[in-house]
This record gives sequence, structure tokens and C-alpha cells, in this order.
Amino acid sequence: MTTVAARASGAWRLWALVPLIVLVVIVSLFATTGGSLIDLLGRTPPPADVFDVRRVEFKPGEIKVRVTNPQQDDLTIATVTVDDAIVPFNLDGPRTLERLRSATIVIPFAWVEDEPMLIGITSSSGIQTTHEVPAAFETPEPSPKGFLGFGLVGLLVGVVPVGLGLLWLPSLRRARPEWLAAFMALTAGLLAFLALEALSEAFALQAALPSALGGAGVVLLGFVGSYLTLTFLSHKLAALATLVAIGIGLHNFGEGLAIGTSFAFGELALGTFLIIGFMIHNVTEGLGIATAATEERRVSFARLGLLVLIAGAPAILGTWLGGYVRSDVLGVLFFAAAAGAASEVVVEVGRWLRTRAPGGLTSGWVLGGFLAGVAIMYATGVLAG
Amino acid sequence: MPLIAAGPLARVAFAETERSATHEGHDHANAPEGHAAMIGRDAPSIQRSPEIDALLVPPPALPHKPGRVRDYSLVARDVEIEVAQGVHFPAWTYNGTAPGPVIRATEDDLLRVHFRNEGEHPHTIHFHGIHPANMDGVFEIVPRGGEYTYEFPARPWGMQLYHCHSTPLKKHIHKGLYGAFIIDPPKPRKPAQELVMVLNGFDTDGDGENNFYAVNGPAFYYARYPIRVSRSQTVRIYIANLTEFDLINSFHLHGDFFRYYRTGRDEVVEYTDNVILGQGERGIIEIDFANTGRFMFHAHQSEFAELGWMGFFEVVE
Repeated sequence: MTTVAARASGAWRLWALVPLIVLVVIVSLFATTGGSLIDLLGRTPPPADVFDVRRVEFKPGEIKVRVTNPQQDDLTIATVTVDDAIVPFNLDGPRTLERLRSATIVIPFAWVEDEPMLIGITSSSGIQTTHEVPAAFETPEPSPKGFLGFGLVGLLVGVVPVGLGLLWLPSLRRARPEWLAAFMALTAGLLAFLALEALSEAFALQAALPSALGGAGVVLLGFVGSYLTLTFLSHKLAALATLVAIGIGLHNFGEGLAIGTSFAFGELALGTFLIIGFMIHNVTEGLGIATAATEERRVSFARLGLLVLIAGAPAILGTWLGGYVRSDVLGVLFFAAAAGAASEVVVEVGRWLRTRAPGGLTSGWVLGGFLAGVAIMYATGVLAG
Repeated sequence: MPLIAAGPLARVAFAETERSATHEGHDHANAPEGHAAMIGRDAPSIQRSPEIDALLVPPPALPHKPGRVRDYSLVARDVEIEVAQGVHFPAWTYNGTAPGPVIRATEDDLLRVHFRNEGEHPHTIHFHGIHPANMDGVFEIVPRGGEYTYEFPARPWGMQLYHCHSTPLKKHIHKGLYGAFIIDPPKPRKPAQELVMVLNGFDTDGDGENNFYAVNGPAFYYARYPIRVSRSQTVRIYIANLTEFDLINSFHLHGDFFRYYRTGRDEVVEYTDNVILGQGERGIIEIDFANTGRFMFHAHQSEFAELGWMGFFEVVE
């Protein structure tokens, strides 16, 4: 009787705030007197005093080095070396960097094209951060020509192969239900492959982040965010083909991002062979969308065009973004989101197979198709290097 | 009181260069290039320091007088010193600088060096020269707070050096416990403008390699504050190599030649513009400048030169 009354009175809602208030009190007490607690435990180790070199750009007669302070304590730029020689430099930004603050070191320097280089930044405590540049070459500026070039690369590795894959739609419509189930399972296999690839890329990028920007949890954030969004959407958008296209599109965005970034920073020789490899790799993605589209009784050309855009066009956006902007945190989130989306679509396709495939999930057609999907992605992935 | 060989010290001074290009801002269209970007205020070195300046000029030589007592007092101290522009190094020093003070005696003087260890670690002073076994600074380790008096006749004449001989030896030396030790010959040397140059290096990040190289302490000090000398009188440099980690160091003079007396003796004399010194090697350089103007001197190991071991003579009439 009284509990009911208390519940109703709302006093218990206020009680829910008490832990928060007490927490604030304890935190402020610790913040003001915390030093003495640390003293009880002994000295804290000295800071590492290592800079995080975010980006090195080469301009005619000039090298620009963007550095960030990844640690709690302030970090001061004292001297700068190029190939073990102290060089004069200008600073764009503060000399003493607070936590996560950045500055750009501008070094007037007659660098030699295509030669490796070692950049050193020494902190006021004498700790030297070295950064190896595999080969010096002029960093591309955003220009209409470069913009077009990156766009074309995105078009070739994203839109074109997905469009080609969709041309299988009429043949798939005439396929026997067992074959259709096999192709659907193949789609699930290729998406599973893409999910794992994206996840591993996300972890690799995350590992290279300064620890202050978050641990492996960032990957989970991106993964769960996109997985749940797609789960929500899958109950609103009935079309399986759209879901598959979104999953593939997010992956292609990440792929474009990786290509653009690697190219802009000279870590990737973007040869014809590599582009051909990506194209063959991605044609399979078009096949996956086509298989899902057989669900729909009539598919207009506009609808097909939309699917191609959803799945392929993000590659163009990705190359642009990767070519001109570099944010490792965004990279981690995008790859994690791609993994989450692809995983969600695997689940959706699995649901479809369970009810629609002759023989259900465990039929030889489904198992064989799934395996084939993974194997084809691996084999064509080898081509993409 | 006859001050022999005590060169006209007034003439040995630092030239202030006029350049005032700034390293803030972005107008490097007119910025100096190459070595011109590394002189005067453009040279990345530390603020002018009277303590460092004092290391360049040795105390005057005294006439030969066997048995005369020469007292020196050295205190080992842990201090943070600026070894390059903005770079602070937790050094172990004699009297607060790395290198420590110049010790000078005439042969047959009775050298008495009072040593007190105010550092956190046990130290000694090991002198190069001829002395009794218990004056060698090897077994008589001076603990934290301890004292020891080294007393022995100064011999043989020449250019010597001293350093700590506690273990680990490499650390005790590269942290800064070393200095120049001049023993003047009974027959006085000719008057000259006398300088002391102790070649050293600093491993600031503890990886067993020097991050900075220098003469008498901070990197690029004499590039920022060129040494003004007169053409009309011999320039005599007492030079010692106390660089750790790197097997050799060197002294190379631009635009002129010099006589090099190995270990400051007469037995081996060379006429050259470049002398190679192994670890612990030392000697005397005598330059009679033919021209006035600005002449560079540096290690001929280009890496050392570009990591701080480079300076200039400003030769005036």
C-alpha cells in the first residue's frame, strides 16, 4: 500500500538521481585532493612524450608535418630533424600541445623525389619521435582533374561492377528454386566475407589510433550502430535487395576510402591491374543484389539504377573523402559500420533461406552456395592484392 | 706577476651576428637557406649563458714552480641542462655544467682537487696522467654525500682530460661527468689566444645513440654566438673528445690549416685542416689565420655537424 503510494509520489524517481549526485561529490573531492592519494601509491611513471604523427605532406621546397599530443601531459616541440639533421622550421599552431591538440610543423626543405625520408620531432624532454616516409612525392592538392580522377576510380571499382552483376537478373529469374537458393546463399557468403574483411580493417585502423581516442569499443560502436539501424530498416523496407545494396554500399564506401587514402599517401601503387582486380571482386556483389532482386515481381530500370547507386556510388564518395581528408576515427567507424551492415544482411538472407530455400538452411544447395560465395570473394580478392 | 701564455683574453669574444630573420610566421620567401639559415639568431641554440661562455676560455697558465699547490673544488650535481634549443636533459655534472670546469696546472704543481658528491649516485674523478694508484678514481668510489681529495703532482705536461669512472661507465660519462685538464710545460708556450673545446654528445632518449652533438655543451652554441678571434695572434685550442657511443669525432677548420699537437706534446705534430679523434683522444690545435672573415668549424662527420657540432670563427684584424 505504502510502496504503491511512494511509487506514485515520484519521490523514488528523485532517488534515482542520488547516485549521480554522490558521484559528482566524490569526483570533485578526489579532483581537489587526489594528489595526496597518488602520493600514497608512489610516483607515477614519467609521460612517454611521443608525438603522434598524423600526416606528412610534401609541397615544392616544403615539408608539412601534422602532429598531435596523444597523452595526458603537455608535450612541447623542441627540435625537428630531417634524415638526422636539425632543420629550421615554422609552426602553424602552438609549440606546447595540450592533450589531443595538434600543430603543423612547416619545414622549408629541398626534398628529393621518390627517396625515403626520416622525420624526427624531439620533445622538450629529449624524446625523439621518428616517422619514416617510404618515398617523398608531392601530395596531390584538391584539383578538378584529381577530383575527376578519384571519381572515375570510384566509378570503376564501385558502380560499374555492381551494374554488370545486376545484368544477371533475367537469367536468375529463370533459374530453378534450388539454384536461386544457392545463389542467395552465395550472396550471404560474400557478405560474410566482406563483414570479416571490414571488421579486420576497422581493428587495424583502431590499433593505430592514439589510445586517448578510444579502444576497441569504437569498433563495436560503429558495428552495433549500423547493425541495429539496418535491423530497424529491415522491418520498414520490405525489399531484401535494398538491404543487400545498403550492406554492400557501406562496404564499398570503406573500400573507396582505403583506396583514396592509400593513393594520396603513396602507400598504394594504383595500377591498372589493381583496378581490374577490384572490378572482378565487386562484380560478385552485383550478383548478390540481383539474386535478392528476384524476390521482386517487376523491377523497373529506375529501381535497378537506384540499387546500383546505393551499392556502388559510395565508392566514389569514399575515394574523394579518402583522397583529400584523413580522419582515422572516421575510417574506423566506417569500416565497423560496413561490417555491422554486412552482418545484418547475412542474417536477413539467412531468414529468407530458412523459409524459402527448398530443403531449408541445411540443404546442400545453401551450404555449397555459402561456401562458394566465400571462396569466390577470396579468389577474386587475391587479384585486388 | 708574469702571466705567460695567457693570451689577450679580451680579444676572444663572441660576435653577435646581425641577422634577425624570425622563425615565427610564414614569410620564408626571404628566409636564409643552407648554412646561412644556421648562424646567429637563426641557429637553433640556447640562450646566451655565462656558465657556458666560461668553459671556452681556460684559466691562465702559470710559470713553472715545482711544489706549488693548485686547489680546485669540484662538486658532482644532478642538474637539468638545456642541451639544444628547448631540449632539457637530466645531466650529472661537475659544478653544474657538462663538460665540467677546465682544470689547469703547470707540470710539477701539486694538484689538489676537493671532490664532493651531491648527486644521487656514487661518482669519482679519474684523471688522465701520471699519479699514485689511490688517486686514480677507480676504486675509491665517493658515495652520495661523500667527499674525497685527489692530490698528486701534475704530470706529464700536455693536454689531458678527466671523467667519472663509476659504473656503468658509459652512463656516468655520457650524462656529463667529464672535462678538460691542461698541464702546461715547464718551458712556457708562446702567447696565444687560448680556447678550450670539449667535444661531447647527448643521448636524450636513452637509446644508446646521441641525439645531439656539441662543443662545450649545447648544440649549435658557437653557430649562434660565433667566436671572435684576432688574425694577428695564434689561436690555440685545447681540444678533447669526450663523445660517448660514437667511436670517433673530429675537428675540421674551413679556409685555413693548423698545427695539431697530439696529446698536446711535441712528439707528433701534423699540419692539416682536419683531425680525427677517438674516444678520450685529445691534443692542441694552433691556427694562424691568414684571412679575416667568418670561418666555419665542425665535425667532418656530417651527421654530427648537422646535429649541433658546428660553429664559426669571426676572424677580425
